[in-house]
Amino acid sequence: MISARKHMRAAVFVSLFFVAISGLVLQNMPNEAVAQEDAAQEESGAVVQENSADASQEEPGAEQEAISDAGQEESGAEEQEAPADAAPTTSDAEVECYESRKDATRLTKKDNVNPKYGYPNVKCSPTTKAVLWYGDPYDDTEPIGDTPSFGDYTDGDFAQAVIRPRTKHLKTIIQNGGMQCSGCHPGADPATQKNDPRELMMHQDIVSDALVLEHGRGAIWCFDCHNAANRDTLVNHRGDEVSFNESYKLCGSCHGSTYSEWRMGLHGKRTGEWRVGGKKRWWTCTECHNPHTVEEHRFDPVKPEPPPALPRGMSEDDYKGAGNHGGH
Amino acid sequence: MSEDKRKNDIAEGQDDGTTKESRRDFLKKLGVAAAATTVAPVATAKAASISEHLQTHFEMMSDSQKEKAIARLEERYTEQFGKQVTVAGTPAPEGVLFGYALNISKCIGCRRCVEACVRENNQSRGDHEYPNSAIQWIRVLEMVRGNDTFQVENLHKGSPSSSAIGDYGVQAGGHADKAVGISGHAEHYYEPELVPEENAFYFPVQCHQCEDPPCVRACPVRATYRDPNGIVVIDYNWCIGCRMCQLACPYWARRFNWGEPVLPNEDMNPKTHYLGNRPRMRGVMEKCTFCLQRVRDGRYPACLEACPVGARKFGNLLDPESEIRKVLATKKVFRFKEDFATEPKFFYYMD
Repeated sequence: MISARKHMRAAVFVSLFFVAISGLVLQNMPNEAVAQEDAAQEESGAVVQENSADASQEEPGAEQEAISDAGQEESGAEEQEAPADAAPTTSDAEVECYESRKDATRLTKKDNVNPKYGYPNVKCSPTTKAVLWYGDPYDDTEPIGDTPSFGDYTDGDFAQAVIRPRTKHLKTIIQNGGMQCSGCHPGADPATQKNDPRELMMHQDIVSDALVLEHGRGAIWCFDCHNAANRDTLVNHRGDEVSFNESYKLCGSCHGSTYSEWRMGLHGKRTGEWRVGGKKRWWTCTECHNPHTVEEHRFDPVKPEPPPALPRGMSEDDYKGAGNHGGH
Repeated sequence: MSEDKRKNDIAEGQDDGTTKESRRDFLKKLGVAAAATTVAPVATAKAASISEHLQTHFEMMSDSQKEKAIARLEERYTEQFGKQVTVAGTPAPEGVLFGYALNISKCIGCRRCVEACVRENNQSRGDHEYPNSAIQWIRVLEMVRGNDTFQVENLHKGSPSSSAIGDYGVQAGGHADKAVGISGHAEHYYEPELVPEENAFYFPVQCHQCEDPPCVRACPVRATYRDPNGIVVIDYNWCIGCRMCQLACPYWARRFNWGEPVLPNEDMNPKTHYLGNRPRMRGVMEKCTFCLQRVRDGRYPACLEACPVGARKFGNLLDPESEIRKVLATKKVFRFKEDFATEPKFFYYMD
């Protein structure tokens, strides 16, 4: 038994030796071949390379065409898809996507923001238009500013923190062609009784029934958060103005533990660099939660991405017939 | 039908262009080389394919061999996808052990992580004829809260049921073919108009990057191994496609390229890593690497950035200030199938 194993081992060594030798030979040979080829400047392989190198100095769209042309010269070796590629890239250029909340966190796809890799700022879902992938995680962001310090160990990260300002992207502002809330609501509203809402004549798309606000279990109303004196801002319980960009300052005054978890990075979403102290985009409260319906659902329901395909050979009927829809 | 397809596949494989061309070219060059005496350090993608087949395991390569291997791949991919492709060999950062945590009380089942992963990691998109040849590394399971179908009528429907000869069944209650009821069914293919569905919760599963990975133990050629940061990686060139790792994995995290991957040029992510998202070939395994090509450069994984509810947390398990460590310290955390003693570094938690 042992001797048999020794024989086998010897055989393996011998065969490995041959493989190694042939490897050495083969690794060196082609290089010599190429040197010759370059000198002669006749081989088609060299033509392809030159063409693509030239094209890459021009615009990226032209690059693909140049390469496909070269491919055709080279007896159509492999490039067939390049012309078909051009169409979707151009049509995607104007796509309007949304980040976390449909209609409330819009983002326009921009092509080639990272020319090194030809990355767009974002890639969006073709079915739901949800942003799926970030070529630039800091697109349209600005430093988080003078977030009040707790005097605790969570302070260290603020230096590198950025947020995406909300003021430009609020639904009503976009619908009004960029006009701020004060365009329709100038000046101070007359003071109203505390917690005395009336039925809304407008903005029912935001709050369907103002008499039953889905936030605060009846304890709060519109002007506990919205600033009656300046509709372009929010207001906290002390009467201080709070920007729409800094919703966390307002939300945090009631949801204190959530706020401190958010500052620590436990609650909410962050994108960018994973290291402690790295540059991160902090996602603010209203980028994920809808404050007007939060009592009904924590997150507004969204359309999901398509499901995976069933295993090969399994039909929809087979799947259901096998009892896999599990009695519900 | 499938026979035909297989024949087509084989036929396509043969006049793929690359293989045929490379072989012919190689022989041509061999002839030229025999006459030549000058040597210049120039390599082309076509010549590289032979060397690529003969290269050693990535971890066994010297630095110069790694450089050569990477240059070969960059050239081949750049030609194949018609755009400049980079293949990084970025080494693992020091003093880092990567961990991941997922908040199942937040997840809404939107599957954006799945799609983000596919866009980042150059998985096969599948074709129209066989959409199920598409590869996804994350699978989101939907479970219905309080889902139970236990019915008292089924309690005494023993099986095998008694016959005219007598009752020889050994099962005293229930039914061998259909249980009294089921609970905790996980649905892979849910497709409602809106998620989250009423009364449902969601459970995304991907590679758990185990500290004691059964897949690594199963691999007969050590093509898959744990990198210094605790990520289980694959040297796709070293993989022999035996799929033992796939059998060994209790998390169903590994996927096999049964056919030539379908990856359209415009969908290809040109920023790749040798051990990460570089395009794979037919007959090799692939799996989640926590987006190795991103995390070694400091970026969060793509699935985390796509999650619209912030249910995903990632970071250095060795840094007590990291988000992941704070999750482990303050939340209700569990690991999936902990009884297998695979010691995953992928944690689930609840608020």
